Parts: sequence; C-alpha cells; structure tokens
Amino acid sequence: MRNVLMAGFLLVFIVGCKDKPGENEQVVSGKPQDHLPEMKESISRGANIYNNFCASCHLMGGDGITGVFPTLKGSDWLAEKQKASIHAIKYGLKGPIEVNGLEYDNLMPALGLNDQEVADVMNYINNSWGNNFGNFVTEEEVSAIAK
Amino acid sequence: MKSRSIFFTALAAASLVACGENGKTNEKQEVAVVDTVQQERPVTIPEDSLTTAEYETEVVVPGLQIAWGMTFLPDGGMLITEKSGELIHFKNGQKQQVQGAPEVYNRGQGGFMDVALHPDYENNGWIYFTYSSSEGEEEGGNTALMRAKLEGNQLTNKEVLYKATPNSTRGQHFGSRIDFDEQGYLYFSIGDRGNRDVNPQDITRDGGKVYRLNADGSIPTDNPFVGEANAKDAIYSFGHRNPQGMIYNPETGEIWVHEHGPQGGDEINVVKKGANYGWPRVTYGINYDGTPITEETSGPDFEDPIYYWVPSIAPSGFVYVTSDKYPELKGDLLVGSLKFQYVEHLSLDGKTVTAREKILEGIGRVRDIVQSPAGDLYVSVEGKGIVRIVPKQG
Repeated sequence: MRNVLMAGFLLVFIVGCKDKPGENEQVVSGKPQDHLPEMKESISRGANIYNNFCASCHLMGGDGITGVFPTLKGSDWLAEKQKASIHAIKYGLKGPIEVNGLEYDNLMPALGLNDQEVADVMNYINNSWGNNFGNFVTEEEVSAIAK
Repeated sequence: MKSRSIFFTALAAASLVACGENGKTNEKQEVAVVDTVQQERPVTIPEDSLTTAEYETEVVVPGLQIAWGMTFLPDGGMLITEKSGELIHFKNGQKQQVQGAPEVYNRGQGGFMDVALHPDYENNGWIYFTYSSSEGEEEGGNTALMRAKLEGNQLTNKEVLYKATPNSTRGQHFGSRIDFDEQGYLYFSIGDRGNRDVNPQDITRDGGKVYRLNADGSIPTDNPFVGEANAKDAIYSFGHRNPQGMIYNPETGEIWVHEHGPQGGDEINVVKKGANYGWPRVTYGINYDGTPITEETSGPDFEDPIYYWVPSIAPSGFVYVTSDKYPELKGDLLVGSLKFQYVEHLSLDGKTVTAREKILEGIGRVRDIVQSPAGDLYVSVEGKGIVRIVPKQG
C-alpha cells in the first residue's frame, strides 16, 4: 500500500504541475527534425515569446480571430511578406491589410522585443501549425530592417 | 475501499503542495476581514442576446496611437497617456507633449498606462500615473505608481509612490487603472505579470492585486494585510488576473474592477477588503490552447464576480454613467472591448447586470472610456484617437 501511495504522490507531483499548459508549452507542428540545431533552438525560444506576447490575440494555434486579429496559420500575408512581417513585429503594424482575402483594419502595437527575439518568433510562426514559410531569420536580418 | 480514500486524500494534498507557494496564503485570507454577508450570484448573458444601439461620434483628438488613459483638467483641457510613453496635454484643439513624463518600459502590454487627478486637484494639483518601469535590480519591468504636478509644460514634484517587484521581461498583465473612493483613498491595479501560478494568490508578492494607498502614498493603517509577516501591506484585494477597468460606484460606495480572463472568463468584481477573487484557482475561462485551467468556477474561499463574459470581450476602460446627457445610459456601466471593437453598455439594477447592448459597433479597439466633468462621454480608440459620444438629445 505504501508503495502505491508513494507512486500516487510522485505521479501527482509530475502531473500536478503540468496542469497549466498554455503558458510555456512549445507546439511546433512543422518538421522540427528537418531543422538545423540553431533553427530548432530559435524556434523553441520563439515559442516562449509567441505564447508570452502574441497568443492573447493570435491564439495558441495561430488562428487569430476572423475579422479582428489575422490568422498566422496558413497566412498568405506572412508567407509572401517576410520583410513586412519582421517590420510589423519590430515596429508594430497599422492596417488596413488583406490576409487570405479578408481585410483587417487594426493596430498592432510595437512589442518591445529585441532583434534576436523578433528573429526567434518569426522562425516560430514560419514553422508552426503546418506553416513552412521563409528562410531561417537571423538577428542580423532583423537589425537591418529599418523603421 | 478505505485505502482508496487515503490515496485520494494524498492526491489532493500533493497537488496542493505541488504547485507551489500557494498553500500558505490560504490561511492568511481567513484572517482577513471579508464582507460576504450579501453574496451576489455571478451573472452572464449570452452573446446572442446582445442588442445594438446607434450613436453618433465626433473625433475630438485625432492622430493618437494608443491613448491608454485620459483625464480632464478643470480648465477643460485633457491629459492623455500614450502607451509608448508620451504625456499629451490637449487644450484648445492643440496637442502638446508634456516634458518630464515618467520613463516607461514599453514592452508587450506594458508602457504608459493610466492617469487620474486627485479629487481635490484644484487645490493640491496632484496628478497620478501608472506605468511600467524598469527601475530596480532585475532585468525587465513592473508596474509603478507616480504622482506629480503640471507646471506650464513640465511635470514637477515627481514622486514614485509604489513600484512593484520583481521586474520581469514577460510582456503580459501590468494592469493598470487608478481611481479614488469618497474617503479619498487611492486604488490601483496590477495584473499577474504573466506568472499566474506564483503571483496572484500570494500576498507577499506583487501582481494580481488591487492596491489601496493614502493619496500621499502611505499605507492606510487599516489595510487588510497590515502587520502580517512579509505581506505587501498596500494590497487591498488579491487573486486578480489583469484589471484594466476601475470605477468608483457612487450608488454603492464601492470600487469595482473589470478584468481580462484568459480565453473566456472576463469578470466584473466588486472590490472588497482582503477578498480573494480566485485567479487562477477558479475561473470561467480556459487556456488559449483550449485546455482547462481548473474545473472550478467558484469556491468557498473566493469572491465571485458579479458578472462574467464568455467568450471574452477583452475589456479595457470602465465608466459608471452619472450624466444626464445620456438618460438611456445613466446609472449603467460602459465597458470597452479591445477584441470586438465596440463599447458595451451593461444595464444595471443595483449590482446585477440585466442586459448587454453594443454601442459604437466596429469603432476599433476601445482602450479607455471616461465621463468628463461636463458629463460627456469620451472613448479612446487605438490607432485613431479620442471621440465623443454625441448625446441623442439636445
């Protein structure tokens, strides 16, 4: 009995603190095994930044809210406008923009991220939820994007 | 059978301990004086019951980015905080940037937040601000409260009355709104700083709290946690997530806040001395990835909201309308919606919300709403500026 009880304790210790998904979980549904180690690390850091700064509007699954916050998952805007996307994350973005045929006329504030964080979150959204956009974004590339 | 129940007790005990420093605050809140004599039942009204009302608006202050807070000076001018850190004095149709505004940590949801005048501003000149500040040892920022005076185009006599600790580079949940009650106490809010399992339930830590101070920044001696070991004695209530709306309700004599839930579970709470509003142990919301946070929406140790929203509207800005210029709104609440881009009119019977109505539908992300001393309603819309709601009559 004692062993079972201990096992129960252990189990709950492990599970007990896992019942807060959402905060820092990394969901990368691309093919991370295909990425170089530095890309994997960047995506992993980017997942934290995404959940911290982006998910409250664009949601964990990158779906956004139709008509209010544009989707990132399968977004033609993100796929086709990599530089503009970096610019938006770095300096904010004011609409109107058209994403997957829908107009969004809204304001995304500048997030106050440093260049490495911008690169990481770009790599995360480019390679999550089935997205396979762009090339590996580096800190240097972000710092070269001027206001 | 018997061993099974022991097992479950062990489970329950372990899960309490497992998730951290929360256990100890449990006992503390029982010591606190909590007025729960008349417990209102939480109310919600489904989205499909919303009606819509048409109002005209006129642009008063154009060309603002994110006008986070605004207040009216006795001479009819306005003070406006831009999230990015500028303090704007708007007078006679002109915007002027005030010098000496506090240095803000503009990251994520942080930046320059609320502005409020002392109730006796005409005699003492004190203006209060909340903003995120990187002051302190650690990297990052946390919410601060400052008071200052406006002389010419310059802020003077600046005093930081409160600075929450520790700093954090997380981008979420700085709060913050400021208001005063009729006794002249100052209340302000700080969100959980994106650290929900650590901050809101722990009264020895900042974040996830409503604070009460004397207007000079000193701690009222009858604050609920004064004298408790290690407690932050500025705390007035705790277990909040991220209040970005605060009013003094003159009918009930109470401070009310609304606060952002996660996905679902935005709330209106009547702020009571020493009360615990339950975040994240009880909530009507779920995680952004759709998983549950807790199965519980209520509990004996927690104060229920008087109203909650599912889905979330992302509330910011809060007014209790007393103006005769809008008889159909008088005695009711207005709440801005960042997410759905309208102003929500909540009909109020005492402390019960009886109806929801959308006004200014599609206007944009509503950040703040205030009633001016002349009784006009002003709405701050992100990316646009400040508009006045044109009264329907005369």
